[in-house]
Amino acid sequence: MRLYIHWPFCRSRCSYCDFNSRVATQSLMAAYGETLVKEMKTWASLIRLGGQGLRSIYIGGGTPSCMSGEEVAALIDAASLAFGLDADAEVTVEINPATWEAGDFRHAVSGGVNRLSIGVQSLDDGALRRLSRTHDALEARRAVASALTSGARTVNADLMYALPAGSEDAFLSGLEEMSGMGVHHLSVYALTLESGTPLQRLVEQGTVVLPREEEAARQYLSAVEMLESKGFEHYEISNFCKPGHCCRHNLAYWRREEYLGVGAGAHSLLGGVRFRNQRSVLLYLRLLKAGELPVCGAEAVAEEEAREEMIMLGMRTARGVPERTIGGTREELRDLENCGLLTISGGRVRLTARGMLVSNAVMADILYRRG
Amino acid sequence: MDRSRIRNFCIIAHIDHGKSTLADRFLEITDTVPRQKMAEQYLDRMELERERGITIKAQAVRMQYRAGDGVEYRLNLIDTPGHVDFSYEVSRSLAACEGAILLVDASQGVEAQTVGNAYLAVESGLEIIPVVNKIDLPASDAEGTAMEIADLLGIDPAEVLMVSAKTGEGTEKLLDAVVERVPAPSGEAWMPLRALVFDSTYDSYRGVVAFVRVVEGTVSRGMKIGFMATGVSASVDEVGFFSPDMISCPGLEAGEVGYIITGIKDVTRIRVGDTVTGREAPAAEPLPGYRDPKPMVFAGIYPVDSDAFTDLNDALEKLKLNDAALSFVRENSKALGFGFRCGFLGLLHMEIVQERLEREYGLDLVVTSPNVVYEVEDREGRITHVRNPSDMPDMGTIKEIREPYVRATILVPPDYMGGILELVKERRGIYQDMAYLSGRRVELRCRLPLAEMVIDFYDQLKSRSRGYASLDYEHMGFLPGNLVRLDILINGEPVDAFSVIVERSRAHDYGKRITQRLRELIPRQLFDVPVQAVVGGRVVARETIKARRKDVLAKCYGGDVTRKKKLLQKQKEGKKRMKMVGKVEIPQEAFISALRSGGEDKGK
Ligand SMILES: Nc1nc2c(ncn2[C@@H]2O[C@H](COP(=O)(O)OP(=O)(O)O)[C@@H](O)[C@H]2O)c(=O)[nH]1
Ligand code: SF4
Ligand SMILES: [Mg+2]
Repeated sequence: MRLYIHWPFCRSRCSYCDFNSRVATQSLMAAYGETLVKEMKTWASLIRLGGQGLRSIYIGGGTPSCMSGEEVAALIDAASLAFGLDADAEVTVEINPATWEAGDFRHAVSGGVNRLSIGVQSLDDGALRRLSRTHDALEARRAVASALTSGARTVNADLMYALPAGSEDAFLSGLEEMSGMGVHHLSVYALTLESGTPLQRLVEQGTVVLPREEEAARQYLSAVEMLESKGFEHYEISNFCKPGHCCRHNLAYWRREEYLGVGAGAHSLLGGVRFRNQRSVLLYLRLLKAGELPVCGAEAVAEEEAREEMIMLGMRTARGVPERTIGGTREELRDLENCGLLTISGGRVRLTARGMLVSNAVMADILYRRG
Repeated sequence: MDRSRIRNFCIIAHIDHGKSTLADRFLEITDTVPRQKMAEQYLDRMELERERGITIKAQAVRMQYRAGDGVEYRLNLIDTPGHVDFSYEVSRSLAACEGAILLVDASQGVEAQTVGNAYLAVESGLEIIPVVNKIDLPASDAEGTAMEIADLLGIDPAEVLMVSAKTGEGTEKLLDAVVERVPAPSGEAWMPLRALVFDSTYDSYRGVVAFVRVVEGTVSRGMKIGFMATGVSASVDEVGFFSPDMISCPGLEAGEVGYIITGIKDVTRIRVGDTVTGREAPAAEPLPGYRDPKPMVFAGIYPVDSDAFTDLNDALEKLKLNDAALSFVRENSKALGFGFRCGFLGLLHMEIVQERLEREYGLDLVVTSPNVVYEVEDREGRITHVRNPSDMPDMGTIKEIREPYVRATILVPPDYMGGILELVKERRGIYQDMAYLSGRRVELRCRLPLAEMVIDFYDQLKSRSRGYASLDYEHMGFLPGNLVRLDILINGEPVDAFSVIVERSRAHDYGKRITQRLRELIPRQLFDVPVQAVVGGRVVARETIKARRKDVLAKCYGGDVTRKKKLLQKQKEGKKRMKMVGKVEIPQEAFISALRSGGEDKGK
């Protein structure tokens, strides 16, 4: 089994963000940390892992680096105590560049963290300001450098494209610099405009202008080309790694393997059932205090739905999906292949880079196309 | 009643010139409707008509009037429709009268349709009583209007009566003039029955109510009758007249006007213009002038929601019950699914039908832009009529396409003449001649392809003359045109609903407009989609809907797949509402907006 731990707090909110996160006091965060431990213990008493320990832990947020390196180490200890931890387990923590000192990195790594994921987002100070990130490019570089010298096996940097007033050149040179510094993994996300965010209001007012679809697509395709030429594997729509450095925890999601999510709003897939925790931190705290698991929205995934999930998730990865899982007539897939959106070989169907850009539409076409 | 004391007459007036108001005054003067009971405009019954100010169905009212000479007369006022779409109905109403009041608004002057109908009345041998109305209005020009009427009819301006239908001034004198000048009907009660059906309406309990003018003979309750044009037989369940309510009576004699009810439920069996005769002693000849209702304008009518097809079918059936001129056949469109190709007398008729379907039956409709009927002669000399552009045979097999033309009369102040001539030219009109009407107005005569009129000719006419121009037209048959069929292809597949017949020289402009419109409306696909306008295999306009390059790729975070699943679910739902044209998915709404806006700017 794999464990996801959600840390739903940030120092301040970014203008584009609609993740489950909020700004909170130290005492609330401390109470939350204790409750996380309690939740893990409760689960540990309910499920048996069949002699195996956790195969990976992923501490995400929010900003888990609001915790100190020692606190993160303590959390990993608690998880390991509750469920056991495989010797070669992958343990990731997300870090915001404006948070950790070199000492935090050291503590986290000696406490078991072997994968560090830095939220660089951009190396253009203007862009960072427009996104109201709390750090500048220099701090981002410093965080990456600290991560690289901390002894962690893998260092990832998140970078965004399709930024307001962000040029393709700036984006590519950011990637280039990260690659030059020696990061093993890059996550490349498009900035998406979520409803209700401050950024969305700015775009509506016309104060901020987002690049057009064509421009965004070009940025992505250039990134794919550049990273592949630098020896990165494009193993998932948004993810690139040097050989042997893929994120096993995230791959498990795409492969529909089981995982338990703890913390407010965390999602789980266990025993063929998808469920999530209450999103509200206060409700989450209250329920666990009363000795109840804060689970809600449990849904057993029916067979056909599971097949759809398999396709939807599997197609995100470079491995693709077996042709027989997709079913249907070959002609439909051929049409998409002729459009240069996917390839069919060795009995597997895979998206091309261009296909990945329109993966929603391709997926809908594969699953629901009518003659 | 003594035939010499009967007067049958109608009022010819342009819309809003005061016909209904004048009729109300007559009903009051004759005590047919007591003053206190007078709801405004008693004769206008249908709600729609009241709102639009259009008289769709004529009715007849019997009034008793003691004239200035002290003698009691029976006056039958027959209402006539006011719009050219219904000119055949107008002609039948006129045929039921011996006289007509020509009513002209003193603040507006003579309008083209009034001229048309006045000439129609003169040709039918009716006594014309020219009247200027609204003389109470400060802005009116009674003298000038009288001059215009005098010019029109070739009479002395002094012969024109002056009234205010609103205040009642001059209206009693006008009724006296009707009595004096309109001849009594001829025709004998003992002759074989010949009665003209000049209108009909439908009552859901009693079936068709036919309005008749008995020309010769007598029609009475229980009598066996026949309709000479349709060959339908029936027996008379009820005979009567309106005064103003339905009053039944034993019979109607030569010269009288009233209604008959036979129990026939199907309006297509009792047609305006048909002659009623007796089964026992039938007349040798029907009355002259009958014509089959001939739809000239066609359009596809489709339900927006394809589930509503049966409702639309039912609604059309019901409308047809009291609208014999409406025709419809089922058709299947690639873009719009199942619907009907409907035939109308004209554009107004089409609008009325559409509005009634939407309002009375609550249907949400897509109406394709209207087209006319084409006469097509193939190389072997065979002639067919094409009512739907997508039925037009391959251009290679065609020798000639002919289209319906109208003879149009336009009245316009001299200042706007230039603009109107230009419009006529733009619309492929052939100028004939012009004449000045008392110096204030030019009467312009021309021929126009009906196809050019069914789009927005009338609106253009009004806007280019600041509302002063008026129009009248009559059908004049088919003339050859340099016409081609233009098809719209989406990714190589023709989409029937957008096929049109256009003049060759305009194919490019039209094609460009429609392809641009579709490019804007059709969502991007996973591949480039060409949208082409094609004439006889040749592309005359082309647009490309560029392939979609990028979806919204929200971060799939912490194993939360619910968003992705929701998005997929939404796409699944969306796909259900898509129409497939070959491999292209097009939301129904895109077709609808393209069709709805397609006609608007076609003429510009
Ligand atoms: N001032 C004035 N208004 C009139 C007169 N006759 C009719 N109207 C008005 O003109 C408008 C149109 O009259 P209506 O009888 O409905 O015209 P129709 O369309 O010919 O039946 C209405 O607002 C009437 O009140 C009149 O003699 N004087
Ligand atoms: S750091 Fe991440 S989770 Fe926090 S506000 Fe910014 S984008 Fe949202
Ligand atoms: Mg009226």
